[in-house]
Amino acid sequence: MILQEMANSASQWSRGDGPEGEIVFSCRVRLARNLEGFTFPPRAHDSVLRDVSDKVLNAVKKSDYLKNSRLINMSELSGTERRFLLERHLISLEFSAGGSHRFLVTEKGEMISLMINEEDHLRLQSILSGLQLMDAWRLSDKLDDELEQNLDYAFLPQWGYLTSCPTNTGTGMRASCMLHLPALVATHRIDELLKNISKLGLVARGLHGEGTKSQGDFFQISNQVTLGLGEEEIVDSVEIVTRQVVGQEKRAREMLLKRNGTQLKDQMGRAYGTLVNAYLMSSEEAISLLSKLRLGVSLHLSPHLSIQALNELFFMITPAQLQVKEGKEMAPLDRDGLRAKIIRERLGELK
Amino acid sequence: MVGKKKTIIVPKKKMICQVCGEREATFHSKEMINGQVKELHLCEICAKEKGLSETFFMPSFSLSNLMAGLTELEVPLSQETSVSCPHCGLSYEDIKRTGKIGCGSCYQALKEYLTPLLERIQGKVRHFGKVPRRGKVKDQRERRIYELRKELEKLVRKEEYERAAELRDEIRRLEKEK
Repeated sequence: MILQEMANSASQWSRGDGPEGEIVFSCRVRLARNLEGFTFPPRAHDSVLRDVSDKVLNAVKKSDYLKNSRLINMSELSGTERRFLLERHLISLEFSAGGSHRFLVTEKGEMISLMINEEDHLRLQSILSGLQLMDAWRLSDKLDDELEQNLDYAFLPQWGYLTSCPTNTGTGMRASCMLHLPALVATHRIDELLKNISKLGLVARGLHGEGTKSQGDFFQISNQVTLGLGEEEIVDSVEIVTRQVVGQEKRAREMLLKRNGTQLKDQMGRAYGTLVNAYLMSSEEAISLLSKLRLGVSLHLSPHLSIQALNELFFMITPAQLQVKEGKEMAPLDRDGLRAKIIRERLGELK
Repeated sequence: MVGKKKTIIVPKKKMICQVCGEREATFHSKEMINGQVKELHLCEICAKEKGLSETFFMPSFSLSNLMAGLTELEVPLSQETSVSCPHCGLSYEDIKRTGKIGCGSCYQALKEYLTPLLERIQGKVRHFGKVPRRGKVKDQRERRIYELRKELEKLVRKEEYERAAELRDEIRRLEKEK
């Protein structure tokens, strides 16, 4: 089974070997495109969706970039399997609802992929490790050029690429960076920072867990506007702001280490202790502890662990990933048990 | 000396699912978008129904979901609210309800409504980015301008200003022809 094969290896972009990989987890550029003369998927009948998927799959066959790719028919997957793809950042929440004539095409390293008949006929994306947003754009741009040789896109000079949602009209592009900002959170500077980013016309999101602390200290910065600016201009603006945030996080990390070094080591040691000794671990707790450990590793407080190993762990322990790898549905408590086991074993190997 | 061992599992404060109001909430999401916090506490079953689950740093509220609210603020300009798209049948009402556009033809058929809407969301209503190569004949000039602009940016980065100035003039000339 294709998905189990995927579950046994990590996506290339999760390796953390890109520039600024200790802070910038990944960067992504996605493009929305529609075919001229066909109703957009949310309003389209089945026969239209079928014609569209036939046309797009035909263009995919002729693509060099997608030559060794996997083709996944969403209607053949279980709910858990669809969630597995969502957790690997290959499909969107909307797409994970499934439906007929919906396909995912993904290159083996999962750096480039294409959703067919999502909200738009085509949603193509490139994800790279670290801060390489311009490269991610160039990759998406080239894939788009290649597919376009065999497809007629819905386009108007005034409004650019026409999309299902007016928040995507124009370039159809969303450029984003996923950042790990534990030191800015610990020094209580994150809220103001996020507020300032929103003033610059970008969107800053943080995924929060219970209480006031954000879960895993992960944040995403992306462009809001898609019309009236060139793609490279948009990419530049996201990248420049991301660089500034990276600089601030670095300074905050150094400050923490200098002023609260013992506390930092203590927190990391406790996180590690729990991770290697627990027999039940919810994904929320695991993400929060791994985040603490990740900060320590980036400050070289734990020489035997690497950022790459931790990045991989984040993805190995998500609920659907566990179940696809095991090949069966599991109750939450069983998942918590398996999750704890995987973490214990993995961290044990790295000792 | 070994005393009586007591295992204490400290239960987290239990929360009840916001949808069914019965089962214990196991899915918790608190997301902040530009300073506004949205909280969601659901049980396993309701979360599944909503297609949500404990995913690792996956934003759960997409921009398009907020769109329906945004279009509500817009008032159609003319009385012709009965106008609908000849290709897919989409009406003003549909956009207001769903925040979504039905097909490429809607952009022309419902232009009067979409222009202020796009202005509100995007600020500018003139595309400045990539142009498909296989476009219609009248779009070919747009493609040429796009290519020249990209070339111009490259030259500026390389600090070849003389050649850049020539390109800029050519872009201006092409833009005037429009």
